[in-house]
Amino acid sequence: MVIDKENNGAGGDGTPIEFRLDGSSGVPTYLQLVQQVEHALRLGYLKPGDQLPKVRDVVAGLAINPNTVLKAYKELETKGLAAGRPGQGTFVTAALGQVALPELAGLRRNLHRWLASAEEAGLDEDGIVALFTSVLRDHFRRDGRDNRGAGAGDGSEGVA
Amino acid sequence: MNVIETLGLGKRYRDTWALRDCTLSIPEGHMAALVGPNGAGKSTLVNILAGLAVPTTGTVAVLGGRPAGSPAALDGIAYMAQDAPVYKNLSAADMVHITGNLNRLFDEPYAKRRLAELDIPPGKKAGRLSGGQQAQLALTLALARRPRLLILDEPLAALDPLARRDFLATVMVAMADDGVSVLLSSHALAELERVADYLVVLRGGEPRVAGQADDLLTGHRVLTGPAAEADAIAARASVVQDKRAASGFASRSASGSASQAHLLVRVGADDPVPPGWEAHPVTLEELALAYLRAPADPNPQDQLHPERIEASR
Amino acid sequence: MTVISLPERPGTSADRLPPLPWRRMAWVTWRQHRSTLIAVPALFGAAAVFLLIAGLKIHHDYAALAACHPSGSSACQALNGSFNSSDWPMANAVDILMQLAPALIGAFAGAPVLARELETGTFRYAWTQGIGRERWITAKLALLGVVLAAVAGAFSQLFAWFFDPVIQQQQPGLTVLSATVFDARGVSFAAWTLTAFAIGAFCGLLLRRTVPAMAVGLGSYVALDLLAWLVLRPRYPVGGFWPKQLVEGGWLLSLSVLLIVATVRLSRKRAA
Repeated sequence: MVIDKENNGAGGDGTPIEFRLDGSSGVPTYLQLVQQVEHALRLGYLKPGDQLPKVRDVVAGLAINPNTVLKAYKELETKGLAAGRPGQGTFVTAALGQVALPELAGLRRNLHRWLASAEEAGLDEDGIVALFTSVLRDHFRRDGRDNRGAGAGDGSEGVA
Repeated sequence: MNVIETLGLGKRYRDTWALRDCTLSIPEGHMAALVGPNGAGKSTLVNILAGLAVPTTGTVAVLGGRPAGSPAALDGIAYMAQDAPVYKNLSAADMVHITGNLNRLFDEPYAKRRLAELDIPPGKKAGRLSGGQQAQLALTLALARRPRLLILDEPLAALDPLARRDFLATVMVAMADDGVSVLLSSHALAELERVADYLVVLRGGEPRVAGQADDLLTGHRVLTGPAAEADAIAARASVVQDKRAASGFASRSASGSASQAHLLVRVGADDPVPPGWEAHPVTLEELALAYLRAPADPNPQDQLHPERIEASR
Repeated sequence: MTVISLPERPGTSADRLPPLPWRRMAWVTWRQHRSTLIAVPALFGAAAVFLLIAGLKIHHDYAALAACHPSGSSACQALNGSFNSSDWPMANAVDILMQLAPALIGAFAGAPVLARELETGTFRYAWTQGIGRERWITAKLALLGVVLAAVAGAFSQLFAWFFDPVIQQQQPGLTVLSATVFDARGVSFAAWTLTAFAIGAFCGLLLRRTVPAMAVGLGSYVALDLLAWLVLRPRYPVGGFWPKQLVEGGWLLSLSVLLIVATVRLSRKRAA
């Protein structure tokens, strides 16, 4: 039996990734696209020089607004991860910087210590998550790195 | 260029105002969702824009200043009415040919290719096609006119989920390929969250909020905190929706714990979150529902023209 | 689902596009009203075959009657009796049907033209196309009206020939100026057909529903016919068949044009 391969979706020719959307995540659509590209960069699906799916193909595959895709790609350009080439599309320009392994191990140890003290104070797992999420949000908002505020394009750029 | 520009637009049928004080300016390049319950005035507004109804008060211009209903406006606007009316006793191929002959600009090869892709038999009478196929036929006819503005009145109501998705995908691709601006009216917002990047909420014949989705989302927050402080917050911020726990008016509930309040407020980009309160982003659907439920705003001009407030700062 | 690309939009601005030629509007009118445009000429055609055959008999009978000498002879009286008992009632029946024809055309061809669009909602499609509502309604009513009037006009010439022996035989009180004869010949029959069509279309737009429009259109047509017969015609300032025909044709044509203009004007207000 031959299974029909879906090759007309949000991927298309010449790109190694295919976008998908999680409707229940509450994460804005453009941000999901950005995160999926970043994820693919971290996991090595995407390398510098690779082409991102064409705006039109993403739009046709996911039935989303082209301005959303343009906004996601603009965000990736702002982050220095991709660049548009006129008449060709958007291409990956940089690998995503990873934190070195020894540093990561140190951060893990710190977090474990903090979790132990939180438990001692009487917080259960859900309580810890609620507190952590709240502090995380506060922290990044103070730094002006609130994702929703950043790079809010006006969507007025034309469609290539 | 603004594809839709209305000023104080109103339409009265006998004693009832179906639409009033409608002032909008929607720039080109957007998919604007026009949402509201049945009877909110969506069809009236859409009919005026398409040139089918004459407003009682106010002015309306489309496509950068063309009077609605004028020949220049009709050339650039394709309108797909509710229930996708097609001549039921004519075949799909006849409908293509007829539409081609009633328009100075018509892309017949595109229409034929699309019908073939959609597996719509050209010889079959339009009345015998499924609801989804009739909608796709009407959409194909509209897009083949190569409009600058596509107006869709409740196009999804009669479609199953798969047909809705296909329909929206076709519209979105036309936006990407042709730069067509879209106005889509619907009484269900959930499925428009992904496609709409401009929102107009209509209730009781009046626009309650209108603006680009990004601006509206960054301009609104849900603040969650102790109900006891809610009035103080409400006095300083513009509250769209005020939800408090049942005991919210007493400072403490029976058990002695602080009762909670959720306030959906309009905020500036740099407005600080009040200490002790948590701020959550809103979704487009949440925002629209809040405005649909909210009591009439004492100062609706502020909501309709956030840029005016910005400018006055 | 595969979604097809739209090719590049033509560079011309919409304002500089040429106006739609009549040929294309005529095609759409034909395609949309094919049943009317086939049925009306077909019915008239079938009636014409009948008129031709029956007309030849009447003309033959009348020729024999006219050639009969002396007219007082019993042979001539017999011919006269047979003409009066078979040819005249048949011609009279056809004449009565002629009175009905414009009314039926108005009801079945005129009333549905716009009422059906309003009833089914297709006016939202038809009136938002690039051609524009006013131009499209004008073109459609004019094209249908002209075709129907032309077919009816041609048929009435055949009827005049068919009915001539009855007039010449001088049935008591029957002349070309008699109400039912005057209506059915000259330019009058075509003009009445056009007027009935215009009344039907106007009622269709006004009432927005086919069946009531047919009824009201029919009633209005009969009232107008009676008005013309009892009030207007005796007051025409000219004498003789053709001058009176031209006066009647003239005011009916003006009324039809006025009705079509009013229909187009009203369409702007009565939509949606």
